[in-house]
Amino acid sequence: MFKKNLFKGFLMMAIASLLLSACSSGDKGSKGTEKGEDGKDKVQLTLWLTPQWEGVLDASEEGANHDSFFKHAAERFSEEYDEYDVDVKVEVVASDQRDELLNVNLNGGTPPDIFYESVFAMGEYAHRGALVPLDDAIDEDAKSDIGEAYWDNVTFGDEVYFYPFSHMPGTLSYNADMFKAAGLEEYIGDEDGIQTWTLDEYNTILETLKTDLPKDEYTNAFPMSLYALNDQGDTWNLAYLRMFGNEFFDEDGNIILDDANGAKAAEWLKHIYDEGLTNPGAESVSSNDTIAMFQNQQLAINFTNSVLFNNMKADMESGQVPEFDARLANIPSESGDPLTFTYVTGSAVFDSGDETKIKVAKDFVKFYSSDEELVKSSKNGVPVRSSVAEQYADENPLFAAFDENAEYVFSFTGNVPGYSQLRQVLYPELQALYTGEKTPEEVVKSYQEKGNVIIQESKEDSVIFNK
Amino acid sequence: MFGRKRKDRMKKEPFDILSNIFVTFFAVLSLFPLYWLFTSSLKNSSDVVKMPPDWFPKTMTLSNYIEVFNSQPALRWTFNSLVVSLVATVALIIVSCLAAYAFSKMRFKGKNVLFIMFISSLMVPKEVVIVPLFRVIQDLGMVNTLNGMIWPNVATAFGVFLLKGFFDGIPDSLRESAKIDGASEIKILYKIMLPIVKPGIGALFILNFVQVWNDYLWQLVVGQENEVKTLMVGVATLMQDLNPNFAYKMAGATVAAIPMLVIFLLFQSYFTRGISVGAVKE
Repeated sequence: MFKKNLFKGFLMMAIASLLLSACSSGDKGSKGTEKGEDGKDKVQLTLWLTPQWEGVLDASEEGANHDSFFKHAAERFSEEYDEYDVDVKVEVVASDQRDELLNVNLNGGTPPDIFYESVFAMGEYAHRGALVPLDDAIDEDAKSDIGEAYWDNVTFGDEVYFYPFSHMPGTLSYNADMFKAAGLEEYIGDEDGIQTWTLDEYNTILETLKTDLPKDEYTNAFPMSLYALNDQGDTWNLAYLRMFGNEFFDEDGNIILDDANGAKAAEWLKHIYDEGLTNPGAESVSSNDTIAMFQNQQLAINFTNSVLFNNMKADMESGQVPEFDARLANIPSESGDPLTFTYVTGSAVFDSGDETKIKVAKDFVKFYSSDEELVKSSKNGVPVRSSVAEQYADENPLFAAFDENAEYVFSFTGNVPGYSQLRQVLYPELQALYTGEKTPEEVVKSYQEKGNVIIQESKEDSVIFNK
Repeated sequence: MFGRKRKDRMKKEPFDILSNIFVTFFAVLSLFPLYWLFTSSLKNSSDVVKMPPDWFPKTMTLSNYIEVFNSQPALRWTFNSLVVSLVATVALIIVSCLAAYAFSKMRFKGKNVLFIMFISSLMVPKEVVIVPLFRVIQDLGMVNTLNGMIWPNVATAFGVFLLKGFFDGIPDSLRESAKIDGASEIKILYKIMLPIVKPGIGALFILNFVQVWNDYLWQLVVGQENEVKTLMVGVATLMQDLNPNFAYKMAGATVAAIPMLVIFLLFQSYFTRGISVGAVKE
């Protein structure tokens, strides 16, 4: 009886659901323009972003969410824009959903009008011809306020494809309490600075942490993080491979890792791994795992970027993460010059085929990337605009340290086509290195061969290379 | 004679105890991920990866659940998932019953060829057809609607294949007798055949419900707006590179798992019967 009723119940529910789903909102995305209430032509834009900061200015605002800034900017833009009645739909997509969504929508002819994301993750779309150049949206004020290094980062061929907003420098973070406990006080840097160690010093730090870190206080703790489960956080792995002076890309955008310096770097990674100077099982550990381990004081040194570091500090304050003295350091190199890189974040406009929408999208991007009030939100990362960085220098002393570091920044993508595919090649090679399946020499050789095939094929398809 | 039986039973008892211990061990082992998921969702983020681990949370907090429901429209996502899975599954059962009955009991030209063509579609992964399917849904104005997630899941060969096996097990004489008594084809299907294949329908219900519930890729591309996202897609958006809050993710995953567990518990008898019916030919 119960089962019969259950079955009927579900049938009724399904019919009710059917009616509900039939009544649910249809696709309201409009193509082209129509008249709005105020007589102006109506334009509907879609803006997608991957999760960045929360809130308009920062996360302390009530109801702060990842889309707050863009919704606020859209409201202001709609009010102030004279030419069209603009409605902007803002959608947050997870980083690992980005490419699936974009590819299906590009094939379906419905890309978003604007995408706000790290340039390194979106460069591929510029090479594919899916983005429109933004040179006409960039004025002299922007050019002088934003440093040359950031413009280089967003320039593909001769044209600018992303309007830079903020950046996220990548460094190491270290647990100064663990350093003290291991007697490494002399290597601890300034609280508001980025410490630079030589490679010899770094090796000493790792070895001392392994031997002198009190085991009763820090159980199951390791000196440094190493991971190769997937492509997440691979920029630090790329940086480690440059530690002995390898330039990674030549002038033509080909990988040149297969030389003595490249092999030496791979050998160093294998050496610290085999010596127990890192967490075990690197081949099956992800970057996210090491973040959690570092927060849990199971790792003394881990990778970080400005946003991750701020988030961790905030979590410490709120009690989500046990409090300890976390500081920043550069990735060391044999030459003594630090290795550092940055993720420039900005907006790209997709070629929707609708000239009006492209024009309005560019105007909107320019609006929120240059408006005096709105650009202040770039302080959630590190502002690309000197004017904003100066304004918040007292509030965030690290801005000055990042600025000092800027001269050592290297372009980890080389803006080569096929970068996202290249990422899929690196971590399996590192896995093979850590499991002993391949020697360091074999790893750099194999990575170079596979990587250059990808780059070559991607160059053939790149609209920028074939202009 | 009775003595031998008792001897056999005594021999069997230690074996039964051992096999029960063995089975219980694996049952506990298979339940452990669920236990870990749930208890981790009640911990602080750093406690999730603590070494040695806390097998039972020392401090419990509901803050991760509060965060999931406060910062995201998780209730709306749950509702969307339920509607999509339920409607798609019921519609699939109706369509599959009709098609499977026709393939099993009715005689028409090209029946076998048509059935092979139908079954062949099982070999085509969804990823291959996702772009053309998206364009069709787009042309029908169903992007960002629940309808867009439901209807492409309604006509699948698997349901027809599964139910045809059940219909094949029913003697043709039953249908013929009903026909002689003047019953229409629909009446035969509804009054005679369907009650017999109920275990198969139950099994199909669970299998398809779970399949649609987990149909991440399709729901991701069709439901792009936050309000039309399903729970699986919505929960995936919690997994951010810059927010490695494991406990928060565990809370999201627990919320996503609960409705499926409930459905399975409610329909498990149909499921087990459905699976075992085809195992013995009489």
